[in-house]
Amino acid sequence: MDETAVHITVNGRARTATVEPRLTLADFLRDACRLTGTHLGCEHGVCGACTVLVDGAAVRSCLMFAVQADGAEVTTIEGIGSSDGELSPVQQAFRDCHGLQCGFCTPGFVVSVTAFLRDNPSPTDTEIRHALSGNLCRCTGYQGIVKAVRQAADTLGGAPR
Amino acid sequence: MKPAPFQYHVPATIPEAVQLLAELGEGAKVLAGGQSLIPMLALRLAVFDHLVDVGRLAELQGIERRDGQLWVGACTTEAAVEASAEVAAAVPLLARATPFVGHVQIRNRGTLGGSLAHADPAAEYPAVALALDAELEVVSPRGHRTIAARDFFDGLWSTTMTPDELLVGVSFPVWSGRSGFAVEELARRHGDFALAGVALGVELDGDDRIRRGAIGLLGLGSTPERATAAEAELTGRPVSDVDPAAVGDLAMAGLASVPTDLHGSADYRTRIGAALVTRAWTTATATATATATATATATAEARHG
Amino acid sequence: MTTDLAAGGTGATRYAGARINRVEDARLLTGQGTFVDDVSLPGMLQACFVRSPFARARIRGIDTSAALDLPGVHALFTAADLNPGVHEQWHTSSGPQTPETPRPPLAEDEARFVGDPVALVVAESRYIAEDAAELVDVDYEPLPAVVDYTRAEDADVLVHEGHGSNLIGELAGLPASALDEVLASAAHVVCETIHQQAYAPVPMEGRGLVLDYSPATGELTIYAATQSPHEVRLFCSRLLGMPEHRIRVVMRDTGGGFGQKIMVQRDEMCLMLAAPKLGVPVKWVEDRRENLIAAGQSRHEHATVTLAFDADGAIAAAGIDHVSDCGAYPTPWPVTTAAAVGVLFPGPYRVPQASFRTRSVYTNTVGRAPYRGPWQFESLAREVLLDIAARQMNMDPVELRRRNLLRRDELPYSNPCGMRYDSISPLETFEQAVELLDYAGFRTEQAEARQAGRYLGVGLSNYVEPTSPGYGYYATEAATIRIEPSGRVNVYVAGGSAGNSIETTVVQLTADALGARLEDVHTIQGDTAVTGFGAGAAGSRSASMTAGAVRETASILRDRIRAIAAHKLEAAAEDIELADSRATVRGTPAIGLSLGEVAALAYFDPFALPPGVPAGLEASARYTADTRSVWVNATHACTCEVDVTTGQVRLLRYIVSEDCGPMINPNVVEGQIAGGVVQGIGGVLYEHLAYDDDGNPVTTTFMDYLVPTATEVPTIEYGHIETPSPGPGGYKGVGEGGAIGAPPAVVNAVADALAPFDVSVTRLPLSPAAVVALIDA
Repeated sequence: MDETAVHITVNGRARTATVEPRLTLADFLRDACRLTGTHLGCEHGVCGACTVLVDGAAVRSCLMFAVQADGAEVTTIEGIGSSDGELSPVQQAFRDCHGLQCGFCTPGFVVSVTAFLRDNPSPTDTEIRHALSGNLCRCTGYQGIVKAVRQAADTLGGAPR
Repeated sequence: MKPAPFQYHVPATIPEAVQLLAELGEGAKVLAGGQSLIPMLALRLAVFDHLVDVGRLAELQGIERRDGQLWVGACTTEAAVEASAEVAAAVPLLARATPFVGHVQIRNRGTLGGSLAHADPAAEYPAVALALDAELEVVSPRGHRTIAARDFFDGLWSTTMTPDELLVGVSFPVWSGRSGFAVEELARRHGDFALAGVALGVELDGDDRIRRGAIGLLGLGSTPERATAAEAELTGRPVSDVDPAAVGDLAMAGLASVPTDLHGSADYRTRIGAALVTRAWTTATATATATATATATATAEARHG
Repeated sequence: MTTDLAAGGTGATRYAGARINRVEDARLLTGQGTFVDDVSLPGMLQACFVRSPFARARIRGIDTSAALDLPGVHALFTAADLNPGVHEQWHTSSGPQTPETPRPPLAEDEARFVGDPVALVVAESRYIAEDAAELVDVDYEPLPAVVDYTRAEDADVLVHEGHGSNLIGELAGLPASALDEVLASAAHVVCETIHQQAYAPVPMEGRGLVLDYSPATGELTIYAATQSPHEVRLFCSRLLGMPEHRIRVVMRDTGGGFGQKIMVQRDEMCLMLAAPKLGVPVKWVEDRRENLIAAGQSRHEHATVTLAFDADGAIAAAGIDHVSDCGAYPTPWPVTTAAAVGVLFPGPYRVPQASFRTRSVYTNTVGRAPYRGPWQFESLAREVLLDIAARQMNMDPVELRRRNLLRRDELPYSNPCGMRYDSISPLETFEQAVELLDYAGFRTEQAEARQAGRYLGVGLSNYVEPTSPGYGYYATEAATIRIEPSGRVNVYVAGGSAGNSIETTVVQLTADALGARLEDVHTIQGDTAVTGFGAGAAGSRSASMTAGAVRETASILRDRIRAIAAHKLEAAAEDIELADSRATVRGTPAIGLSLGEVAALAYFDPFALPPGVPAGLEASARYTADTRSVWVNATHACTCEVDVTTGQVRLLRYIVSEDCGPMINPNVVEGQIAGGVVQGIGGVLYEHLAYDDDGNPVTTTFMDYLVPTATEVPTIEYGHIETPSPGPGGYKGVGEGGAIGAPPAVVNAVADALAPFDVSVTRLPLSPAAVVALIDA
């Protein structure tokens, strides 16, 4: 069992651990870093519940090994919103628009949407739905989620198209 | 759903990478973006004793013009391809195909080379490479060689690369002239693997005759398919003489191993394949027809200037 | 619409009825929720099952030596190790007398479905446990399996030898022959066999448990992904022969359930039996593949259904002969649930006579588990048949329904199977849907589209459902309310929310009941050590039952608060108003006490309290349901476009017109409906828990089991009608209806779009390939 040291900055904090190469980034975050907000819904890269930002890009942390993230900057759901508990505009929009019920898929959505709106500040409704299609939800029927993205886009100042 | 154990190697150079592959043999697998490989490892559908991570090799990244072609490094992410103005200008078919590749979260890690090497017959990039007669550059301890796309895919998830060869880059021909491109596919949901699809390019001469057609098919065989017979039939004909529905039927003729599974039978796939080719043909020829010759020449000159 | 809580003199209903933001969201949005896989205890081990790869096989032997040799493996259990530990196993809702399917925790001599748990590995990590599971060498002798449930009754192979038959049970009302006369004389009779495929709840979080047993104290703490923490405790207590009060079940957050997490299944039984043997905590969380092959299937059934009409299209009789696939280990005993299909088949219509027969059969596939509206097939079959009838009789399907739907003034109405409906509004709800849809406008649009070679369609469905079961262990619900010494309020209820927002709704109800500000009320749920017994979130019972529990409990405290305030303020108790966390004298709002001041008196100055008023401000009470069922009805309307070349269906508009009574929180109501609707859409167009002919599951990952995404669903529009139930607050249940009303609406829309092709849709799912096949036929 060849273990190797990894150095990953998670939510701005440097983390070091000795890990097996097969340890997924998701499990590294959940177990080694005790950041359990990133969830495992499928572990084969379809549901998106495990979405985190790696060097700013939204990725499925179940489809990365921690060793691949050595040297990278990772942002998890715990790093969205401020450390004093104030919700980000995306988080607040999900709350205002009833965009979550059980909350299991929610961190993945929030992270994906945060990256999406950063890169696409003025999305059309179709673009919003396409952007959401990489995350699965079983509770909400996506109604509140679509509204939340629209609200967050408006709050963040994107002009409507 | 955890992968079986493996040893992990991060070669610092391409020669080191291929040397490792040669030494480690069949028990080793190249890891690039991992978007196709890691699910298989998690499901334990595939087990490798060694993974050779080439994702950080700078020489495998990049998009640039080389000798009138567009070279894309094998470990260039699909997201980078999607964002590239160079790709959009030089290889529109590649640009059009990319949004169909999974979802943005997949494209942020998945690589062009990884997709080609994984050789899923329902993936977009293999069909694009085949349609455009791309050239795939591979390296081994024995040196470099170039494999034409038509010689690259030899079976389901199988390529003609030897176990000690590493795909390092892909060169796509750049079409000048009056051309149009379209990608059509049918997937059960947005972002799913296609049940059937087409990546199509058509070029017209100054008299609106078909100079060439390139019809790459996905989901309709155990490898991506090229509708060469249809292309031959079309070449030289006035575009207005061609019934798009006939193009669809022509493209489906002779497909020998159309898959059947839970999502659709071979008959069904062939049927929608024809419709998708028809739609793509209509779109691409409309674009090509609308491109005035003078504009095409000017654009071509600008590209080569 | 005021509720009776307000009528009790607490002041205005401030929070019930309002779209209050949820109290759950702050933690869930920031990744601070506690789902079962988030629980980590010192020394905790992880478990993983070895599962049968065969649909049916004799288990001749299990060699665990290689697995046990793997470093990091702590224990490996087989049936011989665990199964003798079972004292009793039965679900409270079924009772000990129900002729249940034998339920060995681990498979003994025979594996009965692919995924059947055969051995349990416990190791330092799930990674190692999975490595070890691969090293367990099970000597299987594959046997022929029964996979096709439609032939199970006549099959040579018995899924459970001891049962003597593959027929689990049959329940019937009037026999089909009782309708012979009316059918013979009817102006029109329509009869079809309608088939629904297997699909499943697929919550985003799978099942899971963490168990922590302390040998010294004999205490077992279980963290569970569940909809019914108290039932987990009670079941476990019986299973292990361990006193119930030494078991504590905690659920903080559960990631969806939809019925699949209501009942303890065999996998969880294995963990309960193994935990006391380990000496350290153990966790088992199923992965997605396990959830798809072993957590349970639903919806797999068919029926021959008949409707007879008179010359004016009035229904003369209805009959259903129904068979459902219950797999190898159904949970719970499925026969009575199947009977619900029979007795509800007449739906919200005026039906003079009806017959039904329901049969449940075993197969060598995963057992049937509850799923949102488990009887929903009756609505699918009836509404699809109504549209077929309309087409055959050359009647508008809206007009056909209009003629037959029950009106408010006909209630209470006993359907021909003895179901007595009250407090619903089928016709009125239907008319609201038709209006929201602009039905006439759509038909014009449809005609124009057809001219242009495009195929649009509209589908409607109506249903009536029983919610909030008022019998057996579902019939009561308790609350404890503690107004703390500072005046802040804690309300404790059993809980079981896997996403149904009962933390928020209970806080709303309690705030209203006590006249407290929302922010002064907090709830604690899902911990059996601190909450009174409750059956959990099932049967769409939470709104009505928690409203009753809060009402009963709060009324005790309200009286005390007013008495204490009146005494202190020298006013009459009847003149004390409670609002904004204050007790004030009516007419003089400046004169009053805060809840904190009242509490301080109650806790710290007991001798100053009025005579007869006990010290403290805590109370517990248990509400017993007023009715056997709280009836709810709705109409769903769906429009679609079908691409007749590819068979793809695109949903255009989706309207739900529902009468779920007054709403505690309209966001919650609409959210529950939306979730159910999308699961119903999934069930018609995308989801299929499929097996091949040998009983191998084919859809074992999300790449093949297709759950709808945001691009497959339309925007859902809602119309609300509020006919109060006789129960507390007039509230009714709304959790399941979306999944009941949606499938027929979608099917009917597709069939309507394909009407020019003379297509009859009687088999699901409607994949694009299936649609094309229908057109071709």
